[in-house]
Amino acid sequence: MKGLKNIVLGALFTVFAATSLASSGLVGQSAPDFALKSAVGENVRLSELRGDVVMINFWATWCGPCRQEMPLLDDLYTRYERVGFSLLGVNIDDDSSRAMKMIEELGVNFPVLFDSKKDVSKLYEVEAMPVTVLVDRDGTVRHIHHGYKPGYEDKYLTEIRSLLRE
Amino acid sequence: MFKKLTIGLATFLLVWMASVSAVVAQDAATSGSQMLAAEDAASREEFRSLDENVQDLKKEVLDLNRDLFLLEEELLFPANSQVAFFISLDVGEYFDLDSVNIKIDGKEVSNYLYTRREVKALLRGGVHRVHMANLKVGDHELVAVFTGEGPHIRDYRRGATLNFSKGIGAKYVELEITDRVEKQQPEFVIKEWE
Repeated sequence: MKGLKNIVLGALFTVFAATSLASSGLVGQSAPDFALKSAVGENVRLSELRGDVVMINFWATWCGPCRQEMPLLDDLYTRYERVGFSLLGVNIDDDSSRAMKMIEELGVNFPVLFDSKKDVSKLYEVEAMPVTVLVDRDGTVRHIHHGYKPGYEDKYLTEIRSLLRE
Repeated sequence: MFKKLTIGLATFLLVWMASVSAVVAQDAATSGSQMLAAEDAASREEFRSLDENVQDLKKEVLDLNRDLFLLEEELLFPANSQVAFFISLDVGEYFDLDSVNIKIDGKEVSNYLYTRREVKALLRGGVHRVHMANLKVGDHELVAVFTGEGPHIRDYRRGATLNFSKGIGAKYVELEITDRVEKQQPEFVIKEWE
């Protein structure tokens, strides 16, 4: 039993390490541009947010940590929106109606976009959930976080504040 | 008497030695600070030249990047086989553009979502190059599907087809959305620029 647990943990770690390496290659590079339909019906293009510090949060309804993280991200959004901080929640579910339901349940205010074709998540090499990407005012990817653990919001806060000061 | 003389001499010697050692120490300190200043200036100079080198290198990289970009464009889109597709919007009262999907010879080549800002730019007379491709000389079929909000705030989806012949030389195709006032409907026109 213990052996099996170790194997599972090992496999999980390997997968996690591999995914970390995959999208972490984007750090320091120009954030790939995209346009997606938002929950309010309008299309949102990343390049139009140039000049703002942008957080892109990839999430799915089946992802537990996402549910935990989203209200905390919403707090950050409410707090820093007026000083040039944008947050885009990119949902990758095939069926966007589930995502709409979850947004209502959680009562989050930040723009939620639908990537049901997974084009954008492929562009950002998203292979774990959630993935949070921080883009600076010049449109360069500065930080990528894989997964969510309680306490990550403090990291986000420090990074957002530092990028806003630049 | 002799004892007094000896004490006097010893005192003189001590004072003299102290003053000599003070002068020597001062000289040593002066030469030390001079050396430090010289070292500092040298390292500053080194930094300056290093900075200049980095700036030169940066400029060279930028130049190289520009040349590569132009070369890539020339290789990927040689002017003779180039076809460019443009979207324009005239009036736009009966149609609020959301996206355009373009297929050439049955193959999807572009699916472009328009943001509010982009639609505003089109309404002000802007023209958007939605796709650029290279096509062989001969006949081709273009199918453009426009989605958006039509009259009476209803979802609207319309297609337009153009069969065109690609000769030698670049070709420009405009996909124009206009209003047909008499029918109160949008109209989708595809035309080739001469």
